[in-house]
Amino acid sequence: MGGKVTCTLGEVKNRADFIIYWGGNPADCHPLHFSRYTLIPKGKHVPEGRKGRTMVLVDVRETPSAKHADILLQVKPGKDFEVITTLRALVKNQPVDAARVAETGLTLEQLQDFVDRMKNARFGVLFFGMGLSMTRGKHMNSAAALALVAELNAYTKFVSMPMRGHGNVTGADVVMRWTTGFPFGVSMSRGYPRFNPGEFSTIDVLVRGDNDATLVLGADPGATMPQPAIDHLARTPTIVLDPKVTHTSRLARVHITTATTGISAPGTVYRMDEIPLPLKPILESPYPTDEEVVHRILEKVKEKPAWTPASYKEVPCA
Amino acid sequence: MLRITGGRVYDPANEVDGEVRDVCISGGRIVEEVTGADVRTIDAAGMVVFPGGVDVHTHVAGGALNFARAMTPENHRNAAKFTHSPELRAGVGGTTPSTFATGYLYAGLGYTTVNEAAVPVLSARHTHEELRDTPLVDKSCCVLMANNELILDLLEEGETERAKHLLAWHLWAAKGYGVKAVNPGGVTAWKWGKDAKILSEPVPGYSKVTPAKIISSMAAMVDELELPHPMHLHCNNLGAPGNIDTTIETMKVLDGHRAHMAHLQFHSYGGDDWDTLRSESVRLAEFFNEQPNLTADAGAILFGDSVTITADGPWQHLLYQLTGRKWGNLDVENETGCGVVPYTYKGTNMVNAVQWAVGLELLLLINDPWRIYLTTDHPNGACFWRYPEIIHLLMNADFRRECIEKLPDKALKRIHLPGIDREYTLSEIAIIISAGPARALGMPQKGHLGVGADADVVLYNDDSDRERMFGHPRYLLKGGEVVVEEGDIRKMVDGREFIVRPSYDDNIEEYLRPLFEQYYTMSFENYPVEMERLEGADIRECG
Amino acid sequence: MTQKTVENATCTFCGCVCDHIGLQAEGDRIVKTKRACGLGEAWFKNHTAEDCYPDALVDGKPATVDEAVEAAAEHLYQANMPLVYGLSNTTCEAQRNAVALAEWVGGVVDSHTSL
Repeated sequence: MGGKVTCTLGEVKNRADFIIYWGGNPADCHPLHFSRYTLIPKGKHVPEGRKGRTMVLVDVRETPSAKHADILLQVKPGKDFEVITTLRALVKNQPVDAARVAETGLTLEQLQDFVDRMKNARFGVLFFGMGLSMTRGKHMNSAAALALVAELNAYTKFVSMPMRGHGNVTGADVVMRWTTGFPFGVSMSRGYPRFNPGEFSTIDVLVRGDNDATLVLGADPGATMPQPAIDHLARTPTIVLDPKVTHTSRLARVHITTATTGISAPGTVYRMDEIPLPLKPILESPYPTDEEVVHRILEKVKEKPAWTPASYKEVPCA
Repeated sequence: MLRITGGRVYDPANEVDGEVRDVCISGGRIVEEVTGADVRTIDAAGMVVFPGGVDVHTHVAGGALNFARAMTPENHRNAAKFTHSPELRAGVGGTTPSTFATGYLYAGLGYTTVNEAAVPVLSARHTHEELRDTPLVDKSCCVLMANNELILDLLEEGETERAKHLLAWHLWAAKGYGVKAVNPGGVTAWKWGKDAKILSEPVPGYSKVTPAKIISSMAAMVDELELPHPMHLHCNNLGAPGNIDTTIETMKVLDGHRAHMAHLQFHSYGGDDWDTLRSESVRLAEFFNEQPNLTADAGAILFGDSVTITADGPWQHLLYQLTGRKWGNLDVENETGCGVVPYTYKGTNMVNAVQWAVGLELLLLINDPWRIYLTTDHPNGACFWRYPEIIHLLMNADFRRECIEKLPDKALKRIHLPGIDREYTLSEIAIIISAGPARALGMPQKGHLGVGADADVVLYNDDSDRERMFGHPRYLLKGGEVVVEEGDIRKMVDGREFIVRPSYDDNIEEYLRPLFEQYYTMSFENYPVEMERLEGADIRECG
Repeated sequence: MTQKTVENATCTFCGCVCDHIGLQAEGDRIVKTKRACGLGEAWFKNHTAEDCYPDALVDGKPATVDEAVEAAAEHLYQANMPLVYGLSNTTCEAQRNAVALAEWVGGVVDSHTSL
């Protein structure tokens, strides 16, 4: 099983009568999510707005989002996968071990009630945040959540959506998919796109010391990454494009100040549901945009003798 | 300036059928004659000369296809690789090729124009961004309208005239070329987990709007707006056993209005369930032959891996349940939806064998090649880069019989193909891959080699292995530029995008704005695609 | 001081990408936001168009953009396996160029998604 059963945010606004947030705290991290897209607005088929919807918050602690919830399900840290797997079993009326359920911090009654509500929803949605996708289990948790939602469609309409942070990280996925065929972690070292998470994902590349130069834009890994990765950035030539002189800029060989996205730089960004939106910059920046600087670097590279990749067939096989 | 000399020219739109004659090119167009010292001559002796191919129905760009790319990275690992060079961007082929690779793969068939067949207005900006990165072909888009709830709400209230203005407004907002109807009413029903299977029954959530009403009113709107391409229609009940009745009923409902029936193969089945499924291509072709208002594309399938991508959400949920494989679904607020399910057609599977036969049967039984075109509903039935396999099957009855012998016995009594001896001629192939679809799209500058046409010209070796022949053009000219030479892609040129500007009452915006603000989640001002986003837009005023 | 207003501006701070924001600017800074959340308001107000950073730094010393572009191109061109990373807080147009650059230098291109 794989894939994703999802929708644009307006579908949630217009239809959802049952909303789950799992491992996320939108009240603090996506402050307009409730009021503009999901819980509070009056929708085409939910004319009563908030009163027409039930909200369940699943998290390891009671966050400020809890006061918006009708039901709070507090899971023991690291037990999300077990909870989702139990829910998947209950959805299909399979027996579950009550003793194992107890380890999750929730009771069988709570979970059965949760499943009944999901099945009885007219249109349900599960939003999941980094509390699910970046904790123990990581992408296995996300996959389990996606599977739960897909399977619920045998009973009612149900969709899911990851709560993506970081401005236009969704756009990065979208653009890389259409230009290279893959969403992230793409190597062009053989001259054509190859995808292999773990081999070509940035932290792995940096910690192993695989690369010998880095261009950083729209990120500040010097402030967030594990120390061995930062050490490698400092050891090898690093180039930073950023509106500010960042932590990474300070360890870089080259820093170029660029115009701030959306405030001074025009262009396109993608919302978490992959809807593209135009930017409307208001301030004229003294600095060039990322788009322009990357283009100028590319033009300089093009002036140099062409690098010809080894033919695929000539790469010796082990 | 350029002269192609010595080739046998197939230009059915101008009634040229294999005559050896020169084709002259200047300024990106076909001209009467070129003279002077700077005329390049291509010796086409032993080759056949075709107008560049035109794909009337394909899915190559936008949110749904890009969703499929995310879901199936494994399909790219063993796919064709396109290696970076100073002239060409890198890419991967496979079931959902990257954009640059899409351009190369089409050029590698001799195709120069493609119609992306399913674009939501809400994410049309995305589609155009991808099309801008799809080189070597000219492009157009069909915009999804038949499940747009704001339009359906007006039909419910009997406000057909206002609905027409709203449709026209949306078409321009999306910078589209044509109007697409997918499973009319069924996609909006899917938003409640339901479908619309019976044409005369109200769509869930409505009391007066039926699929039949949507089909007939929307086809009439497209005709009244004088759009160059008729309503592009994906019928209800796609893929379902017994759906022939729905398809024929749909043609009756159209009542003389123009329509293009998409991927007809998926709509031509008899039987009550998967065990009793059978081909109804004879019945369908006989009825279709009598409907001069209609054109169709085959939507043929070939055995092998595919990814099914369609706005038909309920069908995709069923396919997911049948296969137990990955399932992607993306409902688009107020407008449409899409489903993505990877699928492998197997020659040993009775249902797949029937589907394989039905696609070929329709191409062979519909008697006017000007009204049936070669497609696989890429990537649904097979990838577009496998078209040459189908051409070989159409042109060679002996080869077809060899393939039929390999089908499972229980499929044989459910199909008509073994009894069909027809073989396509080169001229008929030129019609179904170029001249016909260009005419159906209403693109007078495409699909022929007459004076004034765009200089999109392809030269193939005249090879009795038609699969090899059509899969390896010797030369391809795009807008007069030689982009494929001796079988190699030599350069990237950008294609144009064809869009229409239909006339509508400007007051429709004042009607739409408050509804939009209530039902959508983006700002009204940010909804229409900006003209500046399109590179090389070619605007046609309509109505 | 020049004043400017923009309606339906798009906020790129979080993944919601709200596009209904009203902005009012005086000179080189945004002084008022409408309909933005607390995070969005801070984002808009904290990013001015002041000339408060060097155009570029090469080996820690102020440089022109041309010099820095030249140095960046040389580092990436000379590398056996360059990495292009980040791509979150930037536009799709810049992302598109970044993929092209990674292709030209035969490197890896990756975003926050891999974290």
